[in-house]
Formats: sequence, structure tokens, C-alpha cells
Amino acid sequence: MQITQSQAGALQVATLEGRLDTATAGAAEAQLMTLLAPPGLVLDLTNVRYVSSAGLRTLLKLAKEARTKSASFSLVGLQPAVREVFEISGFDKIIPAFGTLAEATA
Amino acid sequence: MTDSLHLRLAPETDSVTTLLDALEAYTDAQALPIRAASRLMLLADELAANVIMHAHGATFLAAELSREAGTLRFTLTDDGPEYDPLRRGAANTQGSVEEREIGGLGVHFVEQLATTAQYRRADGHNILSITLDAGAE
Repeated sequence: MQITQSQAGALQVATLEGRLDTATAGAAEAQLMTLLAPPGLVLDLTNVRYVSSAGLRTLLKLAKEARTKSASFSLVGLQPAVREVFEISGFDKIIPAFGTLAEATA
Repeated sequence: MTDSLHLRLAPETDSVTTLLDALEAYTDAQALPIRAASRLMLLADELAANVIMHAHGATFLAAELSREAGTLRFTLTDDGPEYDPLRRGAANTQGSVEEREIGGLGVHFVEQLATTAQYRRADGHNILSITLDAGAE
């Protein structure tokens, strides 16, 4: 899992590449937590092939931490297989996901 | 091109990477559609993680994958204490961010994405086998 940091306006953007799975979720979470601050963080998942429940756990922790910090937290670029996992786990209802970075930062 | 894959792994978290790398190479070589490949890797990850978390005392984790016509069959075997992950309760997929926990989601994915899932205990081994649609686009 590679994480590249950038900015879009005032928001932090983290671009993930690889698999967000049992073996990689812990390290990704530690790195992403340090990027989570107001006004918010956007994760670009365009190059993430799939997210396992360990990856969902990481995203849920980030979403909870964002509430605590009054920061926004959203996702962009969900691939079809990732979107499928989001829908069957109900995550599509609790974490906002956008098609493009422009929509996420609008 | 080989049609089946056999791996024998140590029951530890790093083995999940070895397993998923091997499955990714297999699904690429077989030119499986992206959704079939992703579902396979997702469920393999969930089931292997289950064994690693629950099978204290297991000395190995074996993975087998084969393709018969339009069906993928993935089987995990370990020599840990008897444990049937399919008997876990269903996950909460409706709550708010504050209420949500992750427990049971892996099994929920198996129920939703696998065509069949079967657990059996034989010769001191846990044997969990799932089948998936190899053509899922």
C-alpha cells in the first residue's frame, strides 16, 4: 500500500494505491490518522483494487475520528468491486463517496 | 497455464500478503473478470484472517484454488481448534457511524458474494470451502 499526500484547496488528500487488506490496513491507518485534521481529509481510492473488512475497519475509525475532530472525511474513485463491498456492508450510507476529487472538494 | 493453486502458509498476518499476491497472479493469468477476481481476493482475505485470529495453536494454513468451467472453488484448511466461522452472528450493516462495529462483516461478505460456503471438521482439520462465479464482471 502506497499513500501519497497532496492538497485540494484547504483539504488534505491522500491517494492510496494497492490493496487495503488485513496485512496493510494497520500501517495505512496509522499514516492516515496523522493526516486527519480540520477542515478535512479526502481519500482517493481510484487505484485501490479492493478493500477487505480490515480496510473497512480502518475507514470506520477514520470516520469516527473525523467526527471527534469536527473534520470532514470522504472518499473518491471507488472501483466497482470496492463499491460492491461498500454497498453490502452498508458503508455507502455512513461515509460519503464521490466520483471525482472536484465533487468531493466542492 | 495451471488451473489450480496450492499454498501452504504459516498462520500469521504476513501470510495474507503471500496468499493475495498468489491469487492476484492467478486471476491475472486466468484473465478473470475484475469483479470475480476481487470477490475471490476479498473472501480469501476474510477467511484467512479468521483463521489467523481464531485458530490459536494451528501450525499451518493451506489454501487451494481451482477453476471448473464457470466456477472457482477456494478451500482453506488449518489444524487449529474446531472453529466454524459461518456460525457467527450477522453483522450490523444499518447503524450510524457511532454505532457501527466491524465484527461479523467477513462472514456477511461470504454470505453475500459466495455461491456456496461449507465448513467441515475432518481428521483434526478445519476445512472451509467456498465457490464463486468465475464470470462475475
